[in-house]
Amino acid sequence: MLSRSSLSRRELLARGGCGFGLLALADLLAQEARTSTAGNRAASPYAAQAPHHSPRAKRIIFLYMPGGPSHVDLLDPKPRLAQENGKPLPFKKPSLERTKTGNLLASPWKFAPRGQAGIEVSELLPGLASQIDKVCVIRSMLADNINHTGAALQMCTGEQAFSRPSMGSWLTYGLGTENQNLPSFVVVSPSAVFQGAQLWASSFLPSAYQGTLIRDMDKPIANLAPASGDFDLQRRKLDALKRLNAIHKQDRNIDSELDARIASFELAFRMQREAPEAFDLTRETAATHQLYGTKNKTTELFGRQCLLARRLVERGVRYVQLFDAPQNNAWDHHGGIKDRLPARCWAVDQPITALLSDLEARGLLQDTLVLWGGEFGRTPTAEGTNGREHHPFGFTMWMAGGGIRGGMVHGKTDDYGWHAAEDIVHVHDLHATILHLMGLNHERLTFRHGGRDYRLTDVHGHVVSDILA
Amino acid sequence: MRSTLLTALWLVSLGPLGLVLTVGADDGKAGEGLDLFEKRIRPLLAARCEKCHSQAQGKTRGGLALDTRAGWQIGGDNGSPIIPGKPDASLLIQAVRQTTEGLRMPPQDAGGRLKPDEIAALTQWIRLGAPDPRTGKAAVQRMTADEARHWWSFQPLAQVRPPAVSGDPDRGNSSRGNSSRGNSSRGNSSRDNPIDRFVRARLAARNDSLATAATRRPADSPPASTGSRRLAPAPPADKRILIRRATFDLIGLPPTPQEVAAFVHDDSPDAFAHVVNRLLASPTYGQRWARHWLDVVRYADYYDADAKARQMTAEPLDAWRYRDWVVDALNNDLPFDRFIVHQIAGDLLSNPDGSDIYPAGLIATTFLSNGVWDPHDADKEKIVSDIADDNIDTIGKAFLGLTLGCARCHDHKFDRVTTADYYGLAGMFYSSHILAKLGTKGGAYTMNRVPLVPAAVVQRRQHQLKQLADLQAQLQALDKQSPKPADEDPRRVRLVAAREQLQRELLPEPPRAIAVQEGGTPGGLFPGIQDVPIHIRGSYARLGRVVPRRLPQFLAGDKQPPISSGSGRLQLANWVASADNPLTARVIVNRVWQWHFGAGLVRTPSNFGKLGTRPTHPQLLDWLSGRFVADGWSLKQLHRRIMLSATYQQSSRRLPAHFTQDPENHWLARFAPRRLEAEALRDALLCVAGQLDTTTGGPAGQDFTIQRRSLYVQTARWNRSSFANLFDAANPDASTEKRTNSTIAPQALLLLNHPFAQQQSRRLAERLLHDRPHDINTRIDYAYRLLFARPATAEEIEIARQLIGGGDPASWTLWAHVLLCSNEFVYVD
Repeated sequence: MLSRSSLSRRELLARGGCGFGLLALADLLAQEARTSTAGNRAASPYAAQAPHHSPRAKRIIFLYMPGGPSHVDLLDPKPRLAQENGKPLPFKKPSLERTKTGNLLASPWKFAPRGQAGIEVSELLPGLASQIDKVCVIRSMLADNINHTGAALQMCTGEQAFSRPSMGSWLTYGLGTENQNLPSFVVVSPSAVFQGAQLWASSFLPSAYQGTLIRDMDKPIANLAPASGDFDLQRRKLDALKRLNAIHKQDRNIDSELDARIASFELAFRMQREAPEAFDLTRETAATHQLYGTKNKTTELFGRQCLLARRLVERGVRYVQLFDAPQNNAWDHHGGIKDRLPARCWAVDQPITALLSDLEARGLLQDTLVLWGGEFGRTPTAEGTNGREHHPFGFTMWMAGGGIRGGMVHGKTDDYGWHAAEDIVHVHDLHATILHLMGLNHERLTFRHGGRDYRLTDVHGHVVSDILA
Repeated sequence: MRSTLLTALWLVSLGPLGLVLTVGADDGKAGEGLDLFEKRIRPLLAARCEKCHSQAQGKTRGGLALDTRAGWQIGGDNGSPIIPGKPDASLLIQAVRQTTEGLRMPPQDAGGRLKPDEIAALTQWIRLGAPDPRTGKAAVQRMTADEARHWWSFQPLAQVRPPAVSGDPDRGNSSRGNSSRGNSSRGNSSRDNPIDRFVRARLAARNDSLATAATRRPADSPPASTGSRRLAPAPPADKRILIRRATFDLIGLPPTPQEVAAFVHDDSPDAFAHVVNRLLASPTYGQRWARHWLDVVRYADYYDADAKARQMTAEPLDAWRYRDWVVDALNNDLPFDRFIVHQIAGDLLSNPDGSDIYPAGLIATTFLSNGVWDPHDADKEKIVSDIADDNIDTIGKAFLGLTLGCARCHDHKFDRVTTADYYGLAGMFYSSHILAKLGTKGGAYTMNRVPLVPAAVVQRRQHQLKQLADLQAQLQALDKQSPKPADEDPRRVRLVAAREQLQRELLPEPPRAIAVQEGGTPGGLFPGIQDVPIHIRGSYARLGRVVPRRLPQFLAGDKQPPISSGSGRLQLANWVASADNPLTARVIVNRVWQWHFGAGLVRTPSNFGKLGTRPTHPQLLDWLSGRFVADGWSLKQLHRRIMLSATYQQSSRRLPAHFTQDPENHWLARFAPRRLEAEALRDALLCVAGQLDTTTGGPAGQDFTIQRRSLYVQTARWNRSSFANLFDAANPDASTEKRTNSTIAPQALLLLNHPFAQQQSRRLAERLLHDRPHDINTRIDYAYRLLFARPATAEEIEIARQLIGGGDPASWTLWAHVLLCSNEFVYVD
């Protein structure tokens, strides 16, 4: 519950807000959120919550490549594919198969050891290769579903078939947010994603925890501009509103719900003033724009997404999920992979490189977790002559930043890149590890719904301790 | 006294009772087996299995724990891996022998296959009855057969009488001793009303048990202050508050100033009963209460199965007919048992008017077809099993308060539902279809759009269309002749005339519903009327034994008549809708209670099983359920019973004891204030601004800025960015038992800045100026009566005048906007 004194301090901040730098204000608000509303979700669903243990990361940027990037062409080199190109896979494929694929297909791209760690990275990702010592490459990912919808749902919510809260919803529910002036969970997807809002849904968690979708980065938040553009007029309105609400509250004892609603209008007022700044990329220097490639046609879209992600996490947004979605399922290379995969890599490699180095330069990388991947990988066997099918049996993702050991490879697939073979990391394990890094025990972060306690990891999941710094 | 004390204490500490398991084997073999267990099995399990299967270590892969006896007795996703005495039938032995594909334990990365002597020891131990002394509790304990026999919600409704209330339960609180007199002007007193007698008796028992406990306290304990812990019922709500509460409750709109004045001035004992009856008779009642039901049935205006549904521009399909059917059913007070049968098996009912097609019955089965599955799944057989699962899950939750869907892959973890029970039901849905064609792997499939006119009419239209096509062909053939016949050519004139005549007579495209029909999905694995095998772990690729179509045995017993004709849905529907079904009446009565009070007597309205909460007032629930059935399953009568109680009419103002002793209002000693739901908020905005378009029925509008009631604004599963969603409307991805309630800044932003909110402020200001053109104070007062059902105070008039200043229309808009954003507008006391 907000105390009277904290309310007036909030007002003070709001009124004198022009004099504060945003970060200073965000900091103060975060402190205040921790002290005055700590743990009280009734007063604000976003009140900062105490983690279960000391967190290694405070925020997450998930670089999501919808459609399923090909692990054997990017981060999991398989010489046997070249040696046995055109020959059949020497063992029986799993019965779970979407369409029949043909024989083994060598990667047309070269791999070379990169960084001090000597991790082999495809020539398609030169930028990432330059950052590889910050990165932990997980080559033994395992998922359960062979279709986009089910697999993407599992990657984002832990469950392939039913409606469940997304990982970002669980995290904002578990931790609250450190900047109440901005949404706590932001999704940036320039075009519609196949599975739609289910990927960032709060499901049975309160809808306050669902992701805020930004499609048009020029108009990020709905209803943000005061009707007349006149802040003074709106202030008068809100002052009158406060007086009426105070009268209403008088004989209704003390009710945290009523207080919360009163506070929500004050927050809205401040968001109007401060949120536009957070989304305003023009405030970045030319050098930064250059770094992210926002002025270059190839990298412009994802470059702007990455730059926005950095601005948001810098301001205390808990979870940012970027979909590389110039169109739907851009990484779903059933055909034309020799042209289409490089095109995607050129579009994202420089922005991702910029994001990693920029976060590091600003001292943010140490407590920001960056995660890259799609819902699955692609078959080492050919679909047609120039494509690869969906492949959840063994694929690659990478993590960097907060609490992650950089410059390492975890796990491996078999000689053909088919099955995850060693140190297998199931999607549930990935989720358990992410929650762990954020200071949450995946078995304790529960929500009772329909008489049952639910978890992001259902009844599964192990923290992958080998990759922790 | 003792029993009330015990019940009261039990109520205070609701919690699952620990289940004590006894050692399985009881003879000499047990001794031998226990020896073997200690020497070989315990170390073996610890070393080779518990890394992944241990409750204590928090790792239970496949849901299986092997570190306690209860763990393996309950089993994991594949059921219990150990059948004592039968090693060859035990999955554990199959797994360690590694003879079955997909079932090889321990896995390679956990050290691989056990040694032959280890396997032999396990086999011998199971042969000896698998005695296991490890008594650690498993985290989850499945309901035992004995528990199920005594489970509260599976018992027939108790034949109870309302308890006599001796004196005032509020003894000791002299300041509010005349609550019953206060109520008498509303047609009843808490001493006569059965609901109040149950509620007050329970409250009195609570207070008495506290007093008793206090007197038993040891002398050195702190002094008991039972006075401050006593809960007294709140006084009756003010009449203005009551009519506002009742009006929003029943029709989802605010009362008009005239309605408020009429009620306030009506001193007759039936004054409130008149209000309730007036509201129940209004067609807007159905619009309000349909929304509650639509939450439960995961209603969306689009079928996920329709590919076009994902494009914002697609026309809404046929789901709205179901929504309208629900509205009509509620307005006509269709008995709830009939309401159930229509939704599960309406396609099998005959039309009461004798005609050969029953559109309402077909439409009602949209309950089953408006489901959630992955329409893009390349695996079409999986879609068929997902549809069956959606149907079973929704029927279980909506009507029975059971999570039947949990038994799709394994026996229910907590309740008595087995996979055999599940596939007994599933056979009914595999013998029915809502897809007209399954389609091929990776391809599209088609929904079953059933015409709502007699077959003869459909045939007649098809015949007409064929005739038209023939005429068209003849005309084209004529025109191809060389030389081309002139327009006046008699052959041409005749054909054109015939075509025009036919076009005039052409029957219209028949209305359709996506209805369920008998027979399995054409082109699927189960295309006919058939029993189906258990799907091991829910997969159609791993089929077990065939289960006859039947009802769940733990509820319906094992002596069920076989289903000899049809899919069995009609038998299922009749069983669900039977007065003998212990769950059905309780579940709907509890839901209605929740929709009136904000919380049910059972707080988990869709789960009356082991993980649900128990009723706070079990006797009241049973009495109300019994009356509901006796009243012919009439929802309107149920509303009357509830709303005419003093319990419903209590004030929502809290006394200090309400806060400290009962913040969740379990004891019903007050009414709980509530925020307007998304739909009611939007409708109220339009209504007070004089903008509400009251057109009923038909396809939904796409944008929330239209002026129709929110019921007629579309809900779509793929788009969660609407007004409704922002204000916590139900998520149509799954049955919603209770909405969440969040308060966030984006809601305030919408109310402050969205053109829709500004528009209503302007229109409200215009209305005020128009309706009260002269005196400013009168106008301000009028606004308060319109929005809050009460006059304005001097202080409020003063605040208004400060803001309005000179009184130009823009200032009035400004003030109107403030009122629409206020807490008083959004909260109902």
